[in-house]
Amino acid sequence: MEDTVNAAAERIRAAGAGPARPARDPVNLPMIRNWLEAIGDRNPRYEQDGLAPPAMTQVWTMRGLHPAADPTDPLSAMSAVLDQAGFTSVVATNCEQTYHRYLRDGERVEVRSRLVDVSGPKRTALGEGWFVTTDSTWYVGAEAVASMTFRVLRFRPPGSVAATPASERTAAASDVLRPVVTRDTSFFWAGTAAGELRIQRCGRCGRLRHPPGPVCRQCGADRQDHLVARGTGEVFSFVVHRHPPVPGRRLPIVVALVELTEGVRMVGEVLGADPAQVRIGAAVRVDFVRVDAELTLPAWRLLP
Amino acid sequence: MISGRVAIVGVGETEFSKDSGRSELQLAVAAVRAALADAGLAPTDVDGLVTFTMDSTAEIALAREVGVGELRFFSQVGYGGGAACATVQQAALAISAGTARVVVCYRALNERSGRRFGRVSRAISSAPTSSGVDNAWHYPMGLGTPAATVAMVARRYQHVFGATGEDFGRVAVAARRHAATNPRAWFFERPITLADHQASRWIAEPLRLLDCCQESDGAVAVVVAGAEQAADLRQTPAVITAAAQGSGADQYIMTSYYRDNLTGLPELGVVGRQLWQQSGLVPDDVRVAVLYDHFTPYVLMQLEELGFCPPGEARHFIADGAIELGGRLPVNPHGGQLGEAYIHGMNGIVEAVRQVRGSSVNQVAGAGPVLVTAGTGVPTSGLLLAPRGSGKVGH
Amino acid sequence: MIVAVGVVLPELRIPVTPTFVITTAVATRDFQDVHHDRDQAVRRGSKDIFLNILTTTGLVQRYVTDWAGATAMVHRVAVRLGAPCYAYDTLVLTGQVTQVSSTGCVVAVVGRVAGGDHVTGQVEVGRLP
Repeated sequence: MEDTVNAAAERIRAAGAGPARPARDPVNLPMIRNWLEAIGDRNPRYEQDGLAPPAMTQVWTMRGLHPAADPTDPLSAMSAVLDQAGFTSVVATNCEQTYHRYLRDGERVEVRSRLVDVSGPKRTALGEGWFVTTDSTWYVGAEAVASMTFRVLRFRPPGSVAATPASERTAAASDVLRPVVTRDTSFFWAGTAAGELRIQRCGRCGRLRHPPGPVCRQCGADRQDHLVARGTGEVFSFVVHRHPPVPGRRLPIVVALVELTEGVRMVGEVLGADPAQVRIGAAVRVDFVRVDAELTLPAWRLLP
Repeated sequence: MISGRVAIVGVGETEFSKDSGRSELQLAVAAVRAALADAGLAPTDVDGLVTFTMDSTAEIALAREVGVGELRFFSQVGYGGGAACATVQQAALAISAGTARVVVCYRALNERSGRRFGRVSRAISSAPTSSGVDNAWHYPMGLGTPAATVAMVARRYQHVFGATGEDFGRVAVAARRHAATNPRAWFFERPITLADHQASRWIAEPLRLLDCCQESDGAVAVVVAGAEQAADLRQTPAVITAAAQGSGADQYIMTSYYRDNLTGLPELGVVGRQLWQQSGLVPDDVRVAVLYDHFTPYVLMQLEELGFCPPGEARHFIADGAIELGGRLPVNPHGGQLGEAYIHGMNGIVEAVRQVRGSSVNQVAGAGPVLVTAGTGVPTSGLLLAPRGSGKVGH
Repeated sequence: MIVAVGVVLPELRIPVTPTFVITTAVATRDFQDVHHDRDQAVRRGSKDIFLNILTTTGLVQRYVTDWAGATAMVHRVAVRLGAPCYAYDTLVLTGQVTQVSSTGCVVAVVGRVAGGDHVTGQVEVGRLP
């Protein structure tokens, strides 16, 4: 079962972005008003200037009451595979939307989505399931106006049939190479687990340093402290890794050496990026990949 | 001072293959026997052994099998292929100090049929050592192969200096041209064109398959002895004109990503400065260079770091075939690790010795010194070898 | 309005009536039954109908623009979903400025219900051009 899911995921992922799917209607004031009213948003700007609230971006391309089957849509295709494997329930877990500009009344948008990652099976509070991550970009003509990374959990409701035998359960997380953590470096990993990117700072002279170590190279002090990085930086260099396999990852992956705004450099995977779009100098923001209770990895996402 | 007082007096190799069919210990024994036979020495003449920390054959195991009796000097050098020339340096230091008389340096590996270095290694990533802690900053993030770690530097080098994949490719084309006329080379009679390089698949962009050295099985040994003793032996001695190790500021293994620039190999600069200073030579004096070629971009950067051309200009330096046979500075006449075999740099020392003796299949005319370097991107080492009496000796 | 790291946004309490769940679902064109049909929601293992994610995203955006004013321009909304927000819950939104730059700020938002954190997120906001 697990191999079937992984093989399907790889196939769908390799197929890349599906075709552009146009919104049913152009951006329009009646729907904007309905939304503002239901949400309780009294910001006058939208009606005055004929702008759509940014959080409505996805609304324009929702499929409606009777959605047609769309095998070319990566999320639909992956959902069908997981449905077949018994993971019939779904819950959204993460949604990150970036708005390059606000949409205007009358504009016609279309959306293209691609499957980024399928990981599992994992035990969750809801039951055993798979996390499915997609990236979507909305366009007006050729102009990208917004993008979204969306993650859902497809799970088998507890009590349902055919629980996977334990022997088949080799979560991809267990394959990820784990860092050697010492007293000198544990603050960093405690930080990622807490959603903080920590940079070592000398407790005496304040010098920042990464990778960290027990003694300040500037003043010799062994009192180490840290600050929480802003989480932004620029790609200093990067690699598109295609061969050989990397445990716990589906290739290709983009790994970047990022120069943080604070001045230190740090290596991390660039998530959800088309390798062809990554450039030296590109702005990135930190993200965190929770592997399991013990390990959360820092990673990067390109900023628009 | 080593300069001129110690020499390589014998070299030995096994065949280079993709599946030796023998244990690494057997390979080591075969190479050491061949080297001693080449030198005209007996196992009982040996009183020192040096290898790599990465080698699986301990000095005592080798001594037992070969029939070396008492050992007075034994040592292992760290940092992967960066150890290659340093094994000879350690031998030379021990001999100059009077600690040992005849030292054999060896390296045996089933790198293709056994543990392949190009793969992601869980053992390296999880080593309970300071290097394991260093690895925590990139292995878990998905950067865990030698090619990928080099690609990170290569990309920056391209960005800063405008070098292209074709510039990298010219290094591979030269190596394969040389290997094509070396019967010992895996790629004997199989040259490539720049188009072949450009068509080879991506491994870790910007590196393609043909930017990466081979994976090989095989063993190499070299015998080091004092120059006075060398004069009585069978072969023309390859006198050690200079020998050096080097580690740079803020040094890591393959991931020295936290220095100001990411466009050079400062650790090799440390080696180069010592080689020129010890020998009194300058880059222009060098007849042949054997440069460690695990990945093509680092050959360009070595040319710059050693002073053959200014930083960023190696692509111009090599553009007219300078590093090919017949060029201004033939590099790796044996085909290097791209073309001959990947024996962790030790086969390059053998080629350098042959160039000194005048016995290489791709002999470069002249009597000038031969330069050899070891693995780059890691703490490294280098040698200058010459026939007796050639070259200036400084100080 | 004061923008500085640590500034706390006024709390927003939303009584989540069935009408609220259903009208927001329809306004976001999400017609899945768990957002408007209690019997079906219960059959699928939920205790009641619950808010859809597009609404949660919308509420987080609204919460920050209520505070930042009409000239605010939202650049990014990132949310992580936790406990479902069911009909008859009270959703309590709180927020705090975590980063400030010359062009805008980042607000961390938490939306709590009886069952725990329904949503945690960040909103990056600047000014309309």
